[in-house]
Amino acid sequence: MDYSITKFLWTLLGLFIVLNWGMLMSSTMRRIGARVSGRFGIPWYQPWIDLTKLYSLKSQVSHGAMFFLGPVFRLMGGVGIFLFLPIIYGSDHWSNYSFSGDLILILYFQFFGMLGMALGAGEGGHPHSAIGISRGLSQFTTIEVPMTLAVISLAIQYQTLSISDIVAAQQGGFTTWTLWTNPLATAAGMLSLLGAFGHSPFNLVKAPNEIPIGPPTEYHGVFLGVLRTNGAILHVAEAALFMNLFFGGATNWVELIVKTFLIYFWSVFVGTVFPRFRIEQSVRWFLKVPTIIGIIAIIIFL
Amino acid sequence: MVAPIYIIAVALGLAFLLGLLKSSSTNLGSLLMLAGLAFIAFVSGQWLYEFLINGRATEMIFTAGFKPPFSINLRMGMQEALLTTMINAAGLLSGLYLIDTLKKTGINSMTVLLVFVMSLNVIVMTRDIFNLFVFLEISSIATAGLVLLSSKGNAFQAGMKYLIATGIISGLFLIGIIFSYLYAGSLNIDELNAAHIMDIKGGAIAIFIIYVSVILELKPFPANGWGIDVYTAAKPGFSALISSGTATAGLYVAYKLLPLGGETWLPYFTIIGAITFIGSNLMGTRQQNPNRLLGYSSISQVGLLLMILGLSNQLGDNTLFIAFSILISHYAAKAGLFWLSGIVKSQNLEGWAVLRKQPFMLFLFGTFIFALIGFPPFPSFFGKWQLIMELATQENYLWMTLILTGSFIEAIYLFKWLGFAIKLDVPSNIVMKFEWNKYLPVYLMALTLYVIGFYVSPMVEGGAFINYIPLLFVLALFALDFLPVFVKNTISIAGIIYYMVDLFSQLENDLMRQIFAVIFLGGAVLTLMAGYNKKGTRAGFYPMALMMFAGLTGIIEANSMLEFFFSWEIMTAGSYFLIIRGKRSMPHGYSYMLFSIGGAYALLFGFALAYASGLDTTIAALGHITQLTTLAYTLLAVGFMTKTASLGLHIWLPGAHGEAESDVSPMVSAILLKAGVFGLMLLFLYMGTGTEGGDKLLYVLGWVGALTTLVGNLGAVFQEDAKRLLAYSSIGQLGYILFAVSIMTQLGWLAGFTYTINHFMFKAILFLVIGGIVVKLGTHNMYEMGGMIKKMPFSFIAVLISIIVIGGIPPLSGFAGKWLFYHAIIQKGWYFQGAVIFFAGIIAFLYLFKLIHSVFLGQLKDNHRNMKEISPWILIPSYLLIIGIMIFSAFPQKILQPIGEMLSVYFPESLHWEGTKAYTSLGYWDGTTIMIVVMTAFILLLGWLVLMSKKIKKVEQFNIVYAAERPFRPETTHVSYNIYAGYKKAVGFLVTPVVEIFWDSMSALLFDFAGWLRRIYSGNMQNYALHVVLFIVVFYLIALGGL
Repeated sequence: MDYSITKFLWTLLGLFIVLNWGMLMSSTMRRIGARVSGRFGIPWYQPWIDLTKLYSLKSQVSHGAMFFLGPVFRLMGGVGIFLFLPIIYGSDHWSNYSFSGDLILILYFQFFGMLGMALGAGEGGHPHSAIGISRGLSQFTTIEVPMTLAVISLAIQYQTLSISDIVAAQQGGFTTWTLWTNPLATAAGMLSLLGAFGHSPFNLVKAPNEIPIGPPTEYHGVFLGVLRTNGAILHVAEAALFMNLFFGGATNWVELIVKTFLIYFWSVFVGTVFPRFRIEQSVRWFLKVPTIIGIIAIIIFL
Repeated sequence: MVAPIYIIAVALGLAFLLGLLKSSSTNLGSLLMLAGLAFIAFVSGQWLYEFLINGRATEMIFTAGFKPPFSINLRMGMQEALLTTMINAAGLLSGLYLIDTLKKTGINSMTVLLVFVMSLNVIVMTRDIFNLFVFLEISSIATAGLVLLSSKGNAFQAGMKYLIATGIISGLFLIGIIFSYLYAGSLNIDELNAAHIMDIKGGAIAIFIIYVSVILELKPFPANGWGIDVYTAAKPGFSALISSGTATAGLYVAYKLLPLGGETWLPYFTIIGAITFIGSNLMGTRQQNPNRLLGYSSISQVGLLLMILGLSNQLGDNTLFIAFSILISHYAAKAGLFWLSGIVKSQNLEGWAVLRKQPFMLFLFGTFIFALIGFPPFPSFFGKWQLIMELATQENYLWMTLILTGSFIEAIYLFKWLGFAIKLDVPSNIVMKFEWNKYLPVYLMALTLYVIGFYVSPMVEGGAFINYIPLLFVLALFALDFLPVFVKNTISIAGIIYYMVDLFSQLENDLMRQIFAVIFLGGAVLTLMAGYNKKGTRAGFYPMALMMFAGLTGIIEANSMLEFFFSWEIMTAGSYFLIIRGKRSMPHGYSYMLFSIGGAYALLFGFALAYASGLDTTIAALGHITQLTTLAYTLLAVGFMTKTASLGLHIWLPGAHGEAESDVSPMVSAILLKAGVFGLMLLFLYMGTGTEGGDKLLYVLGWVGALTTLVGNLGAVFQEDAKRLLAYSSIGQLGYILFAVSIMTQLGWLAGFTYTINHFMFKAILFLVIGGIVVKLGTHNMYEMGGMIKKMPFSFIAVLISIIVIGGIPPLSGFAGKWLFYHAIIQKGWYFQGAVIFFAGIIAFLYLFKLIHSVFLGQLKDNHRNMKEISPWILIPSYLLIIGIMIFSAFPQKILQPIGEMLSVYFPESLHWEGTKAYTSLGYWDGTTIMIVVMTAFILLLGWLVLMSKKIKKVEQFNIVYAAERPFRPETTHVSYNIYAGYKKAVGFLVTPVVEIFWDSMSALLFDFAGWLRRIYSGNMQNYALHVVLFIVVFYLIALGGL
């Protein structure tokens, strides 16, 4: 257990890289989305402009202490997942603080940000926030079902819940990836990912392009800046998690960038093709095909 | 020594003397009558004393100096002395009780009462069968006469019916006597018994006729309409005497004549007893009139005693003890209840709520009800225990089942009645007037129950070790009930702390019991602290709360199964009274009690099988059950699961916990439910793994646990009532624990302990705080709350921390449970159950958010703008618990490592520690490091936001970004009601109350069946006479006709 300053600085550097890569990735994805619908799209550096603007806005209103803390919790959620994730396989510097706990820690740390954000937004008092949260939580309960089944399947397969060990087991080349050794778990996990990333058809939580809705309704300025920061980090960290579980992990940053891009692209790809679900539809959807795949992924090991 | 013959002589003499008095000298007459009753009570009491203390030999009395068969002879032995003392005491007290009525009806009625009591004495003492016949006749006629004391219109009818029916029976009895005299050449019972009439041709007929009339005298179901009507029509003061006196004498007649037919006839007694016991209790469930209900209950108890007599060859030496302890409970309780009925003077059960005007009488009412059902510390508890144990050693499972079923049905109507008395509105039209001659008998009967209970307890194996000290403390609190809350609370807390210190010195090497001791007693202190914010005297609360805690302590301390069960029942009784204190708790207290009693009987059955397997009375007997092993373990598990409210047995919980008082909810939720957990853990440790049946049971329980979690959590999601939401959450949490311990590995049990400790802490906080808020805001409905964070910030923080723990979010201690769960499940291979558990775990977020958002966030309502923080007396214990949570979260290893070491004795080690880091074969977790990392990062990020923030402007409540409209009403802006509508659409079918529907239809079935059966009681004498004849015919066909 390494609590040194050096470790801290390396981790901070990793976080910085992840943040920037996350922003670049999101602008790229938005451009792709725009091109599909026949528009030109934003410049690739738009997220930096947005972030700079948000952080430098002078007006800032607060609805109370929990409202203020909400974004901190949210950012902690994203940063925490990054901190507990061994981001580059085999590297001491980039293993972050993953010695604190295994895969289960990350699965449950996801809730940290969600809960904090929900409470902060709740104090804002805007009905749309509460509605967005209730939808988000409803959807999340079933998103996690195939994911849990996939994780159990992986644990049976590799007899470990340590992410590093799972990645280590996939180091024999392309064919040793979980994708090939346990395609059903991968399928269940990747379907669950669609919900976790919140793109269409599972984006009713924020319902973009319409009236402002969803947890961030009341957040603006620096608060929104913090939320955007988190968004960028969280997307990369979550994609990296799936990369580690199903796609052999990454032994260097280039590999990480390519793999996370493709994983993230999967959700954007589906999102541009399928229209939005109502909440009860998405809840039911996850309990059908993805869950059945997940169950089969376990049955084959019995 | 006054010879027993003086009982007859004095009573008869006085009866004649009374006849000589002027009809106007009722005062003198009543004085003489009471003096006579007191004298005969003295005579029999004196003999009882001689037999008990001086060990005197049995005395035979021959009248007129002749030997039998030429003389009437009486016997005065231990049994006769005891029974006549009981009868005479009841007679004296009844005389006292009825004194005003008797004065009104005149001297003749006093004569009849004297003769009646005297006749019962002779029935008990006589050893001459013809003499027995004569006095049975006398008692019948006297009964019919005394029924007429009542001015009710149906009294005359009832008396006539009684005369006709007993006339038929006596005629039959006389024929039987003639036959037996023919065969045996004697009228002396002992000689008859020795004559083996059964072996003589035709002897069976004689025996049949005698038995059928003796049994008919006891009013067997269903040929007993004539007897029931007497109970209903007579003055309750006299019904008490019929129920306690006539039944006692009648049973003794049956006992005396048992050897006449020998063992071949015993099963008929058992069968008829069983039918009567169950049938009458079924009838009881439909009764609205208290006296008629008591009549059915009396007859059912006689049925039970008849069963016991029938089983006497199997119960051996214990028969008398069992019969006596049940008889005395019935005797005292039934007399007391009938007398109470005369005081209450209500023709329906609802009217008994008037007892609340005189709480002490309500207490006595409760005493009688609990004694009838067989709760400790009353004699019937020990009797039933011994009865079931003995039957199990004889492998007599059918009778065990029937006895427990019958007792359960009895509980159904008795507790409904008690619930009415405790909860319904006090009727204004009923006045209870204090008359010492009516109240004193009731007091004395209640006292009898306690005293005899105390004295019979050492007669049961293991009973001598029962610890009565906590109960004495409870008694002391009863005595101090008039003091203000502050004083009683302090006394209670001090007492518990003292006891806890003492207990810990005894539990030095037993970590499991230590943990539960902290939960039970530490929890008691913390939850009691909240009581300081209550005003007034809070009558009855402290004795009951302390009774529950005494029971909880007792199950930790218990070494024998009897001590365990004793404490278990004490705990149930205390918690019942606590639960039913809530404003709308009547139905919930009732269903709690029924589930508890059902569970207790399952436990009793299981304990009996354990006892029968090796005649071992210690709890360790659970470790080597050889009789019906799987069934025994299943029953024990089911018994404990009624307390943990597992799926199928959970329906009592939401109402019971949701409607309880604000500081009772945490007691019954955070603390009481753990009694079931303790029981399950104890059971599983003794059961171990590797047995085929046991492993199957564990597998099933694993699924039950997982599904309970799902149902509990999902149920909570759709609640609008804050406390019910928490109650459903408890069901879910207890499901986790059941699942965890069913895994039966070190990891599983560690998860179980983690959940147990966590649930204790966070549920106590949540129920305390939410309970306080509910009281303060005057509503249970969350959608009527909102925005409380501004008014009650400390409450908010407490709730926030609790829900982080429930959610299992790192870095708090809830995550320890989740982590252990994942590892345990994968190691065990229970993947699908595990998936259900995790799915349920995420569903928990829905209700957690709903709770905290609806209460604390969103929009503040106009009528709550002046609200202040809840009482510090609620916050102090909550924050003490939060400190506990924080310590457990930051240093989980300090607590889990010793538990793991303790468990390694029972299970192979599957988790080891290196410093603060835990390893399994699958992965690792370091709670302390996580805490450091998260705290550091959080502070840095908070710093980042503060650094970036400009001047922050605080805005008003409705300053939100609405398009083209301006919200102004909190009610329309606060999103809470049916917040998960979409979710309900998708998965709402999962919360169809299947289990409620099941239990509802079960109870409807029972009531409908009883209602259908009740039609035989048409009130028509011809029908009743037909019943008697049919009974004789059917009995004949079965016993002698080869049917």
